[in-house]
Amino acid sequence: MNHTTNLNLSPRTRSIAFNGLLTALALVLSAIELTLPPLPLLPPGAKLGLSNIVTMYATGAVGLGPALCIALIKGLFAGVTRGFTAMLMSLSGGLLSTLVMWLLLRVNGSPFGLIGLGVAGALSHNAAQLFVAFLLTTPAVLYYLPWLILFGVLSGIVTGLVLRVMMPLLNKFTID
Amino acid sequence: MILKKKDLFLIAFFLCLAAVLLLCFNKNAGTGIAVVERNGTELYRFDLGKQKGTQVIDLGGEYHVKLLVEPGAISFQHSDCHDQICVRTGKLSKPGQAAVCLPAKISVRITEGQKTIDAFTG
Repeated sequence: MNHTTNLNLSPRTRSIAFNGLLTALALVLSAIELTLPPLPLLPPGAKLGLSNIVTMYATGAVGLGPALCIALIKGLFAGVTRGFTAMLMSLSGGLLSTLVMWLLLRVNGSPFGLIGLGVAGALSHNAAQLFVAFLLTTPAVLYYLPWLILFGVLSGIVTGLVLRVMMPLLNKFTID
Repeated sequence: MILKKKDLFLIAFFLCLAAVLLLCFNKNAGTGIAVVERNGTELYRFDLGKQKGTQVIDLGGEYHVKLLVEPGAISFQHSDCHDQICVRTGKLSKPGQAAVCLPAKISVRITEGQKTIDAFTG
């Protein structure tokens, strides 16, 4: 934080404000993503998962609790703006990918870099959503699996790269 | 560290897995039986190989879903749902392909149907 602001906030206040900022960032990114036109090469329903960048950063830099909270609020936001099905899809994907990335970060010597982490997060996100779609409809949705894996890998790479770019900016706000 | 060796292994493994699954699903190109289900209950069944002419099936419901059945293909022609994923999926023509309208809980998938005998050998 910039100490010239003379705000003398307690660490708790700072952490609440910072988590609020991250949540807002996640919501803005998912809102922006909704306005993007569907890319011709992507299969129907595939999205870049831009807001996963935020949950990924929160998992690594703030902790599991705040990251899960962001995923939860993101899910509720999807529920308010896009309906119940969208909420279930967002919650399942968001919560599972956060858990998976947190577990991978805790493995000794952290085997994966940012890109591997992004790919693991995107794949678990897609897997959870596919499972919910499977429960809500018929086993027919499982035919999306190869495409979801392919675009999970691609969007995971994008997520990892974007986070690499954003990391120095976000780290300026680190709470001490 | 942005990219580690294991990242590449992870990416390569899943790309291979996707390729293998795609090959498996596309193996039986040709005609098949289109099965239309709402909430897991079968509504219609069309033999795409035997379909003559086009036909619009109005499934009604909250989203006014309409299906277009053609010789060799089936597609979602219309749905009032917000995301239009089902409509954008386009025409299904191969066994293994599927389109789903999640809000309306309607799915269309193509199965292989009964295997027919090509020829008898004496």
